[in-house]
Amino acid sequence: MIAALAMLAGVVLGLVLEPTVPLWLQPYLPIAVVAALDAVFGGIRARLDGIFDAKVFVISFVSNVLVAALVVFLGDKLGVGGQLSTGVVVVLGIRIFGNAAAIRRHVFRA
Amino acid sequence: MNAEHLRDRRPRGSLWRRIGRSITSRDAKHRPRLGAMSTSLLDDLLTDHLDKGYAEAAARRAARAAGTPEPAGPHRRAGLLLALGLLLAGFLLATAYRATASQAPESARARQALIHDVQLGSATSDRLQRQAEQLSARLAAERDAALTTSETGDQVGKQVRQLEAAAALVPVRGPGITVLLGDAAPSGQVDPATGQRIAVPSDDTGRLRDRDLQSVVNALWAAGAEAVSINHERLAPTTTIRAAGEAILVDLFPLSSPYTIEAVGNPDTLLPRFADSAAARRYQSLVGVYGIKFSAHRAADLQLRAATGTDLRYARPLGGTAVVPSGSSSGSPSVGDRSPGASTPTGGTGGTTGNGPGGGP
Repeated sequence: MIAALAMLAGVVLGLVLEPTVPLWLQPYLPIAVVAALDAVFGGIRARLDGIFDAKVFVISFVSNVLVAALVVFLGDKLGVGGQLSTGVVVVLGIRIFGNAAAIRRHVFRA
Repeated sequence: MNAEHLRDRRPRGSLWRRIGRSITSRDAKHRPRLGAMSTSLLDDLLTDHLDKGYAEAAARRAARAAGTPEPAGPHRRAGLLLALGLLLAGFLLATAYRATASQAPESARARQALIHDVQLGSATSDRLQRQAEQLSARLAAERDAALTTSETGDQVGKQVRQLEAAAALVPVRGPGITVLLGDAAPSGQVDPATGQRIAVPSDDTGRLRDRDLQSVVNALWAAGAEAVSINHERLAPTTTIRAAGEAILVDLFPLSSPYTIEAVGNPDTLLPRFADSAAARRYQSLVGVYGIKFSAHRAADLQLRAATGTDLRYARPLGGTAVVPSGSSSGSPSVGDRSPGASTPTGGTGGTTGNGPGGGP
């Protein structure tokens, strides 16, 4: 309950405050969002598995976002930014799908 | 997930000490168990979706619960931490949404404005063109009326009309043939992401160039065409067909494929002569090789408008002020009105109009 409210508050805050994203940060924002989604789905699954831990969630969330952005940043510097972001998206996408499937099994028992 | 081996029996030291210990640890308990778990990176990726931290934390908690009853303090802190994390996640999502949403229309808006400008400009150009056509029609009517008053005037009028038709200064209509030329169709590749056709690269061999249009038009003139237009752009004797980047310019008007070339002339001789020309045969064969479009057929009634951009360069009104060609220095001291329309003689039979203060020498 408190989690859903907090997330809703975050969304509202983001929409109301209209933060301007610096130009140099903009390429990493989509990757960061995908990483955040991965962390969120992982957290939901862990909750359903009964092994959720807030500290693990927050740390995995922050580090996921930072590492994903860092990997893409390094890739940009090395000239393989596009390919690396594709790789990051593929890996995170597979994880999101796997976690979503686990959540589905929990919710629908199917 | 088998995590019993990760049971935490160590005293809780600082984070850095723990990291250092786990790196230098020679204890088999803390080493990743290769072999028992999947060794392949891909297998790992496809089967272990959940962060291993959760299982470890759960195992730690279970161990702690077995020892001492859990205090209430960390529970509230965990809730706060969770709320903070999710607040951050939501904020990130909203920020990314805003950034993406505000970015896409930005370029679209600039594009829309440019398209609007272009449309406005071409509408103005069309309007001025129509006005010029009306004015020249009125001019021709006035001139004809003035010329029919005398025998020589009649002859001069006829001559002028013939010359005007040859110079493409008047609209014409009549039977003739239509030649259709078009670029080869895009190779049929469709972008898998957007579903749109992939644009043909500019060096594609199936694209028509300016010299293709030139040779077809020249073949039409040679076959006996009396008036030719490309995509309703009338060709005057001085009209150029040339390339500017991707576009083909006919007298500075950009045209794009497909090209409809209309030629007024006797279709019974024009069509067979054109079909027999070298250019027509070449493009007929290119249809099979590159897939360009090329066809010629007769047309019963063609309407070609007058050519644009023809102004007098060397003509001078009889005895009156000279028409000074723009950019060149004629010897005339005239500083009168330079616009060609104003210096057109109103009557060929003597009565000249000296406009401007600087009369003839």
